[in-house]
Amino acid sequence: MAQLSEAIAALDKDKVLEIVNADLGSGRDPMELVDEARQGLEIVGAKYEKGEFFLIELMRAAQVFQAAAAVLDPKLKELHGEAESKGKMVIGTVNGDIHDLGKNIVKVLLECKGVEVVDLGVNVPADKFIEAVRDNQPQVLGLSALLTASVPEMNTICTLLEEAGLREGLKVVCGGGIVGEVREEMKADFATVDANEGLKVIEGWLA
Amino acid sequence: MTAKMTSYERLLAAYNIEEADRVPVAPINIYVIPYLEGMGIKEAQLGAEKLVDAYINNIELLGDAVHPFMTAQDHTGLLGRAGWDQTTLDWRVFEQFPPEGNIPSLYEKDFIEDYDDIFERGFSTIMFNKKLENNIFDRSVDEFLYLEYEYPHIYAKAWRRFVETTGIPLMCGGRACHPLDLLQYYRGIMNLTMDIFETPEKVHRILKMLAEYEAVRVMERAMIMGAGEVPGAEVIIFINGGPPGLSPQIFDDFYHPYAKQMIDMWVSRGFKVQCHWDNDLTPHLETIGKLADGIPRGYLMMDFEKTDMKKAKDIIGDRIALYGNVPSALLVYGSVQEIEDYCKKLIDDCAPGGGFVLAAECETPWDSKPENIRAMITTAEEYGQY
Repeated sequence: MAQLSEAIAALDKDKVLEIVNADLGSGRDPMELVDEARQGLEIVGAKYEKGEFFLIELMRAAQVFQAAAAVLDPKLKELHGEAESKGKMVIGTVNGDIHDLGKNIVKVLLECKGVEVVDLGVNVPADKFIEAVRDNQPQVLGLSALLTASVPEMNTICTLLEEAGLREGLKVVCGGGIVGEVREEMKADFATVDANEGLKVIEGWLA
Repeated sequence: MTAKMTSYERLLAAYNIEEADRVPVAPINIYVIPYLEGMGIKEAQLGAEKLVDAYINNIELLGDAVHPFMTAQDHTGLLGRAGWDQTTLDWRVFEQFPPEGNIPSLYEKDFIEDYDDIFERGFSTIMFNKKLENNIFDRSVDEFLYLEYEYPHIYAKAWRRFVETTGIPLMCGGRACHPLDLLQYYRGIMNLTMDIFETPEKVHRILKMLAEYEAVRVMERAMIMGAGEVPGAEVIIFINGGPPGLSPQIFDDFYHPYAKQMIDMWVSRGFKVQCHWDNDLTPHLETIGKLADGIPRGYLMMDFEKTDMKKAKDIIGDRIALYGNVPSALLVYGSVQEIEDYCKKLIDDCAPGGGFVLAAECETPWDSKPENIRAMITTAEEYGQY
């Protein structure tokens, strides 16, 4: 396993930066380093699934990755131009709910994987989601919520997407504390309470 | 079978991990009761007598104890209090329930930008942070004095009337937050994660400060509510809404020591503690069991949200009473039959030997079906007989 992947998996930010700076200094292609860093994230995800890591380690891994990316990005642009997006997702917490912890975690992890994320924020009215889908034409729409009353709102958005002719070809994922218990009530393509599970499903859609 | 007990005797038996006449049931109905009575949220928080009437009008939904709108103590504090507490958090307190308004919600922000500044100059650096958006500076001195010093007594008096009228005890006299919970609110989860990994010594130092502040503040509130006189007002509800997903190592290092410190302080002064701890804490049950170390039986209850209750019973049930945890979604979207089935399973798993109070996970959602709340209560009354 590459040293950088190991350091990411060990959540060792200092070591990660040391390796990145040393390797860039010796002329390595930053693209290779990004790939190795992403492999490190894969290891973290696998450890999470096995119960060896917890949500806080997922968040920390994303932070460590971002620290590396902050060093690598300018070099990447210099050598390869703007990075090609691996896909686009619009995400937001639905109207009547301001909980954004899960949304933010998913957003950061997706960005680490090279996905472009348009974050609409919290308490987002249904028509704003429709507008954002129309304007941004994402492959995925993510709806986040914690409160029980948010389930009908998520379904309303799905209905409005259908009425606007925007549902075909668009995957809708719902996430948050409430949705996992009412999956059968949801009109979305997938619903989960687990950020990592959601991430994997979204990556599968974008592959 | 044990002779018929009063509700308070039933709760004490649960705290003592003894079988009562039946399983006690005491859902936290803080929003659903005013909603069913057509009250607004601020009206419920500021109109104590009307709120108590609403509870009395819905006595069939209460069970064996009430948590007297516990968040009101903090949310009304937003309107008047000016210390290191909930005032500085960006809670939005709405006038009405959805769709016009919403239940009180916290907007997480990074209020604390510099720990060293707080260590040096105290908490005032937070109070005068320009990011505060709860308009505490717009309030008159009279309003502040009323909400800070008079209203808590009016509120307590109303709940005394409730207990005297109904014979139903309280199950909460004051509400405190775990300091890591507060710190998440003040730093945001991402910043707090960074702090835990990069500056752990500073996190520990501020957790210690917050633990001491919260532990003392809540005892004053419980005394106003009648601790020692009004049955159940001696219970401190100890909140943790987050942070979710702590690894066992971080839980043991940053969470457990401060929880233990606060609980020991309360118990040594005669208060009981209901730990209202959200998220799935199953991985931490062994550590949670250590909260009972050195304290007498009868003072500690774990109110779990997503934690595996059967495992909790197996691992800590001999030392700590359990409370919970009928899913919110089931109360809103489920059927009476589903509620009954779920409650029976909880009773089978957790009630043998005593030490279990049936309730919803976290709080009963404001939009719960009343028949589902009632089903929870009747299941305890009928199926929960010892």
